[in-house]
Amino acid sequence: MPNSEYVPGLEGIVAAQTEISLVDGANGRLVYRGYVIADLAEDMSFEEVAHLFWHGRLPTRAELDGLAAELSESRNLTDAAATALAAIQSDADPMDVLRSIVSVQGITHRLQKPSLAAAIHATASFPTILAAFHRRRQGLEIVKPRAGLGHAANYLYMLNGQESPPELVRALNTYLVLLADHGMNASTFTARVIASTDSDLASCLVGAIGALKGPAHGGAPSAVLDQLEQIGTPENAERWMRDARKRKERFMGFGHRVYRTYDPRAKILKAMCERLNPKFFALASKVEETALAILHEEHPERPQATNVEFYSAGVLQAIGLPKDLFPPTFAVARVAGWTAHVLEQAAHNRLIRPQSEYIGPEPRKPVPLAERG
Amino acid sequence: MVAAQTAISEVDGAGGRLIYRGGYLIEDLVPCAGFEETAYLLWHGELPNRSQLDAMRQDMVHARKLNDAARGALLAADPSTDPMDMLRTALSAQGSTPTISKPSPADALALTAVVPTIVAGAYRRRQRRDLIDPRDDLGHAANLLWMMDGKEPATERTHWVDTYLTLLADHGLNASTFTARVVASTGSDMTSCVVAAVGALKGPAHGGATYAARSMLDAIGSLENVDTYMEEQHAKHARFPGFGHRVYRTYDPRAKILRELAKTADPKLYQLAAHTEEVALKILHDAHPERPNATNVDFWASVVLTGAGIPKELFTCLFAASRVAGWTAHVLESQEDLRIIRPASQWVGPQPGKKPEPLDKR
Repeated sequence: MPNSEYVPGLEGIVAAQTEISLVDGANGRLVYRGYVIADLAEDMSFEEVAHLFWHGRLPTRAELDGLAAELSESRNLTDAAATALAAIQSDADPMDVLRSIVSVQGITHRLQKPSLAAAIHATASFPTILAAFHRRRQGLEIVKPRAGLGHAANYLYMLNGQESPPELVRALNTYLVLLADHGMNASTFTARVIASTDSDLASCLVGAIGALKGPAHGGAPSAVLDQLEQIGTPENAERWMRDARKRKERFMGFGHRVYRTYDPRAKILKAMCERLNPKFFALASKVEETALAILHEEHPERPQATNVEFYSAGVLQAIGLPKDLFPPTFAVARVAGWTAHVLEQAAHNRLIRPQSEYIGPEPRKPVPLAERG
Repeated sequence: MVAAQTAISEVDGAGGRLIYRGGYLIEDLVPCAGFEETAYLLWHGELPNRSQLDAMRQDMVHARKLNDAARGALLAADPSTDPMDMLRTALSAQGSTPTISKPSPADALALTAVVPTIVAGAYRRRQRRDLIDPRDDLGHAANLLWMMDGKEPATERTHWVDTYLTLLADHGLNASTFTARVVASTGSDMTSCVVAAVGALKGPAHGGATYAARSMLDAIGSLENVDTYMEEQHAKHARFPGFGHRVYRTYDPRAKILRELAKTADPKLYQLAAHTEEVALKILHDAHPERPNATNVDFWASVVLTGAGIPKELFTCLFAASRVAGWTAHVLESQEDLRIIRPASQWVGPQPGKKPEPLDKR
């Protein structure tokens, strides 16, 4: 065996080659197929970035129109999905609903290789599933997608039953672009491991949603907002946060493995918060400043560590999303990356099957049931 | 690359041994303990005593029932849906909850208990017949057969299925088990881990070989066709499903046990399979004398499950019904030292920093 050392978390182990995104932690850059995220975030639609992931290049006008039309055709729920959705209890975690309905949408009569068409269909359907569930649990009529609206605009339209102001649509679009891919994170890796068995796209996505549901990955939806709420005012930040450290409490929205400088996505989201959510920004920026100062005092060797979750909370709040839709809205973005990774994995496939190290007892004989104490 | 330390099972390929938690060799365990006891062993680290086993069976009775969401998902799907898709979907729906909870032994039991209900439900749907509720007085394997046919199964049939379920319950860090552990590493819940694992098992490179082995035997059809068929396949460089695996250097210990069972489970198919095995091993040996004897568990499992009356469309689901015990045990084990599994990737794309062209200039 080339390497039989146990590597906790597989940290530093190269599990795949990819052309989709690069997290350049040392230089604080996130790169999508060669483009630095800051060059894409403000001007590109989510659809253009999805095209970039799937095809390796940005679309021409005609290609973009074609993709928009395909997405539009795929946005409606299948009959099976609508029936299954109606059977799910309305207090379910929206991540569980997404996991279940993506599974229903992906059912087939026989196993199919992951395809671009399936990727488009899945990506189109995530907002529809979430919006339909959110309407239903509020006792409201489900709103069908509207042809002619883009991806971000349609999501808000289906949630609210009316078109949203362009500024908010733009903000959601930027959020979706920023979160669309991020190297070999745990959910993307899950999708690739499942793809490596020659399974289908729905199975990969259902697995990835399950991984994103974990608080260490997709975030505890209310964590950042709850902590800010407890702190209450900017003046209160310093005292509250120093006390919190004495109680060994974590600061929510700080810390990540990769970036050695400020997360480039957090930077863009921070600027958006300042414009769109001034109340949040006034408190959050003070809390951030205090958190970074305290963290620096404790560990001067560690880099500035505001993560994407911190200012995402302010942006998604400004857009009007309820807290429990934050993680599945992350999935609305990341499905573009997941599907691209699955297609990439399927194109150069090899079963991903690491080894385990046995740490149990040496062989011994079992005791028959009647003789067990 | 070692991705996890585990005490759940060990595949000792060189020695041809499969060791389950506690240090039990599979051939010692099978005569002594059925599937429920084995699942208990994998979850808790020791075989249950009589009162623990009784309590566990009682808990499984309750957990076997579908909730409205799972029943709704099962009935929503077109009857001809791939049963693995039904399983993935209904398990996900059954596990939809208002809040996320840390994986627990109760979750492990609940998921393991309900898989046969869904699998039998998918089978009934395929036949466009009504679902059959589980029976409180039957064990795990017997309930599966009951819910498929609505007839109380003969003891022997139950025994074949139960032995299969026991033998396949865990097997080191295979792709689906690894998937479950990656999902668990994010702090996600048990249902998410198991649903992901079902998706991985659906892949033909992982869970599809029993079906493929049975299909090969179907294609051969009769004893006199064996030699010609196998020679032809070999000449076409086709692989023989049910032969070859990565790990064992000797006869797979699970295949050995199933081979014995196959003699009584389906004597006619056994004859065909035994001759096919002989021919396959000879061809493979002639082609690669340096490789070990390579009949794998899927080959003989396909005969035993056929004898037990399981249609081949359900073979991968039966695999899931067994392996769910191992998946859940691995998830519980990983909770002891939760650390996100996040490997690196190597960038092979274009140099970073090119500027995007505006839409109208592309």
